[in-house]
Amino acid sequence: MARRRDGARPHPADPDAFMEKSLFSFIWRFSKRQQIFILCVTVLTYPVTYILLELPKLIVNDAVQGSGFPRAVFGFEFDQVSYLVLLCFTFLGLVVVSNGLKLFLNVYKGRLGERMLRRLRFELFQRVLRFRLPHFRKVSSGEIIPMITSEVEDVGGFIGEAFALPAYQGGMLVVQLGFIFMQDPLLGLAAISSYPIQAYIIPKLQRKVVLLSRRRVKNVRVIADKVGESITGVPEIHANDASAWHSADLSDRLYENFKIRYEIYNRKYFIKFLNNFMNQLTPFFFYLIGGYLVIEGDLSIGALLAVIAAYKDLAGPWKELLAYYQMTADVSVKYQTVVENFDPVDIYPAERLTSDETVALKGDLVLSNVSFSGGAAGQEVFDVSLKVPQGQMVAVVGPDGSGRAEVLQLAAGLVSPSSGRVEIGGQDLDKLSEATLGREIAYVGGAVHVWTGTIRDNMYYGLRHRPLVGPERTAEEQRAHERWLTEARLTVNPTYDRAAVWDDYAAAGVKDLAELDRRALELLSAVGLDADVYRLGLQSRFDPTLDDKFAERILAVRATLERRIAEDPTLRGLVELWNISQFNASATLAENLFFAVPKDPDITMDQVPDLPEVKAFLKETGIDGRLEEIGLKIAETMIELFANVSGDSGLLGTYSFITQDDLPEFDRIVRNARSVVQKSRMQDADRARLAGLAFKLVPARHRLGVMTDELKAEICQARKQFLEKVVAPGETFVAIDPGVYLPPLTIEDNLLFGRARVDRRDARQRIDQVIRSIVEETGLREPIMFAGFNYHVGVSGSRLSASQRRRLALVRGLLKNAPVTILDDIATGLNDEDQQLRQTLRALLEGRTLLFGSPYTGLAEEFHAHVLLDQGRLASKQADPT
Amino acid sequence: MSLETEVEALRRVPLFRGIDETKLRLLAFISDRTRYQKGERLCSQGEEGDSAFIILLGTADVRVDTPEGERTVAQVGENSIVGEIAILCDVPRTATLVAATDMDVLIVSKDDFLKLLKEFPDISLEVMRTLALRLERTTRDLAEAQRRAGD
Repeated sequence: MARRRDGARPHPADPDAFMEKSLFSFIWRFSKRQQIFILCVTVLTYPVTYILLELPKLIVNDAVQGSGFPRAVFGFEFDQVSYLVLLCFTFLGLVVVSNGLKLFLNVYKGRLGERMLRRLRFELFQRVLRFRLPHFRKVSSGEIIPMITSEVEDVGGFIGEAFALPAYQGGMLVVQLGFIFMQDPLLGLAAISSYPIQAYIIPKLQRKVVLLSRRRVKNVRVIADKVGESITGVPEIHANDASAWHSADLSDRLYENFKIRYEIYNRKYFIKFLNNFMNQLTPFFFYLIGGYLVIEGDLSIGALLAVIAAYKDLAGPWKELLAYYQMTADVSVKYQTVVENFDPVDIYPAERLTSDETVALKGDLVLSNVSFSGGAAGQEVFDVSLKVPQGQMVAVVGPDGSGRAEVLQLAAGLVSPSSGRVEIGGQDLDKLSEATLGREIAYVGGAVHVWTGTIRDNMYYGLRHRPLVGPERTAEEQRAHERWLTEARLTVNPTYDRAAVWDDYAAAGVKDLAELDRRALELLSAVGLDADVYRLGLQSRFDPTLDDKFAERILAVRATLERRIAEDPTLRGLVELWNISQFNASATLAENLFFAVPKDPDITMDQVPDLPEVKAFLKETGIDGRLEEIGLKIAETMIELFANVSGDSGLLGTYSFITQDDLPEFDRIVRNARSVVQKSRMQDADRARLAGLAFKLVPARHRLGVMTDELKAEICQARKQFLEKVVAPGETFVAIDPGVYLPPLTIEDNLLFGRARVDRRDARQRIDQVIRSIVEETGLREPIMFAGFNYHVGVSGSRLSASQRRRLALVRGLLKNAPVTILDDIATGLNDEDQQLRQTLRALLEGRTLLFGSPYTGLAEEFHAHVLLDQGRLASKQADPT
Repeated sequence: MSLETEVEALRRVPLFRGIDETKLRLLAFISDRTRYQKGERLCSQGEEGDSAFIILLGTADVRVDTPEGERTVAQVGENSIVGEIAILCDVPRTATLVAATDMDVLIVSKDDFLKLLKEFPDISLEVMRTLALRLERTTRDLAEAQRRAGD
């Protein structure tokens, strides 16, 4: 059962305050019923196995060679043949039963192991969430990740065997030993004579191995941490030419790992050697002593043979037991090495995370004699007392390292004071659950984190506390869900439904998703992120099946744009619109030929010619030959143009679609193609390269003169064939059609149904302006911004700029609609933009409590009051409204 | 509209008189062929120059800012190169160019023009000769103007 350290327990009411320190108490505590069941079934297999071994003897001796038939079995009479048949079928039946039991047992053990593993892993993760923030200065993700993932993996495999194996194999051993002892006590003693020595030496040796595996686990953790750190800091490595140092560092660790492993092997296999030797030593005594006894006539030869046979059977279980012992030692040490990291003394109680009770935080925010130490100079707070009356806006001013960040985190309940109290409306923040702190307080700190996901995910993150409305499920889905629920309960995992609606509309003060979206849009505009989201929206893709009205509106803009272009002679020259019967000189040959876009947006135009159906089409229609001709002409021209240009001039790199490195290769291809003999034998790879060259040709830009009018007409002809043969019947492409929204293209590309002409200066920018004005006129800006909500921000928001990430986090905080808002180092500049943003924030948060952290004093006058922090102490209070 | 026609036009530009055809083709290939409609600006006085213009078709007005507004001081026509000074010595555009008719222009960017000069010294020589001729003419004009002012 749970071991408890009395006196040091921070939360006596919490029975799970500590993790089981030993693997066996963990296994026994959470799976004793299953372990006993496994043991029972294992014992059940024992007579089955025994009979299965006895039956063949009975068949041979009794049925085949026996006499006295017919025999009576269970009141039925059997003659010799039917008796043989009966025994044989009994044998077959027992084979099925025995193996069936084994199958059942193996699956049962595997399932139990996986459940326990899930439980353990989840417990570990939840403990990470329960760590206090300062604890994360001591542990790194690089170390924690392997603990939760790979290091506990072996525990799962072990759990099913933990009790059953020693019980079963031990039982076998005892039975066999008993048999030997019954034959002759002396020989029995001889059989176990090596056991005491083995039992003494092997654990001693094994202890060393255990210590080594502990070192190995820790070393691998350091390796994981170093690799992780190298990845996060990779720009620094390159910027400082430090890769040699990191390589040496890691290589050292790998050598360390090798050394430990090598030593483990040496010891592990030495144990094996010793054990095998001891096992063979016993028969040596049997032959010597037993033989002597037989010669002397004290022992029958039959008894000696029986004992030697029994001893052989002894070796099996003994070996198994030894392997089990080694595995136990290994897995135990892994378990302990993991678990000891998840038991900091000051871990938060689990209820802080799991409780769903929200206490309304109304009233003044009061810090009374609060001290805090972050563990380093500049992260300390000494005896700070502060009162922020409800609804007041107070600036907390102090340079970095003055304790400003710590005071604000204390006020947000993110860290706990080492002495003193932080209260809002008389409620001690340290005693409140996250359900209160995370919902009633909006905290946006200096180092914001943006989650991998969409902009929408990130904005509504602060509203997703619990699943609110479950999804509708079909009967089948419901069954799957029930199973999921049962498993979750069995493994003490949470039963929060991921598919449910988590967005808490009421908390944000809105009715439904549409209103929430609108509110988010207002806030985006307020923090000045609207233009960015609009741009992202233009570049995003949108699925017209979700909202066909929006698609229609985009098509309407497309039509308006087309009309305006047609009417305005200056615009007409800027764009070349798609036209099914006309070659578009501002587009590539590939776009012109296929005149369709792949449904899968991940397939680029370059990859299209490699699609099997496209390949087949090109071959069938003979267009591949034409393309090779065009490619050949291009290659010839390029070689001729750049033949005399030196490699380092840089001219080729910018202008040609062949790079300097490719030039000799194309030179070879061209020469091959020209010589009549080799032309027919031109390799497929070379043909593909030539065709690839042709596909990239943009006639209006490259002006190589290869696209004659006849060729253009031919391409337009082939385009129609492609439409008929590949696009229409297949599922891979969407045809370019003025009346159809093309989902694989971005919204922007859908708005402009054509290409900005490459032979007109700044055509793209000028046409973009026209698009923007039409979008504004038709009121499409808003829906496009909503489309921008679905923009994927990349890993940890890597596709956003630092300032965009900060503003996004600000919107997340504001959307929470919390009575208390705490901002640290957000919009603290004295420039117009930040000043404007501060003004907007003050207007938005009118009547609510706001703590505004800033390193600069210049803006203090904008707030009702301000406090100055210096070296962790309150330096002055000015215009204190109290 | 292919390289061949452009090369034909380039051959008639005095600056490229002595240069063989393959090099002209290269020059044509690396430059952007651009159309301008009447009234569009090619460049504006005072802005940073990043390219030279070789006029293939049409004419452009050369305008300079005066206290009374922009004034057309000259016209440049087919087969002339304009704006090359800006890309040779990093000075702002000395005049504004406005298309007087619909035009076809080859635009050579500063980087490429310099690369080309480096790669083919005979073009540099030709550029030098043209510039020297212009300098000589300007000096003569100046002397003429001074003489007249002295009268």
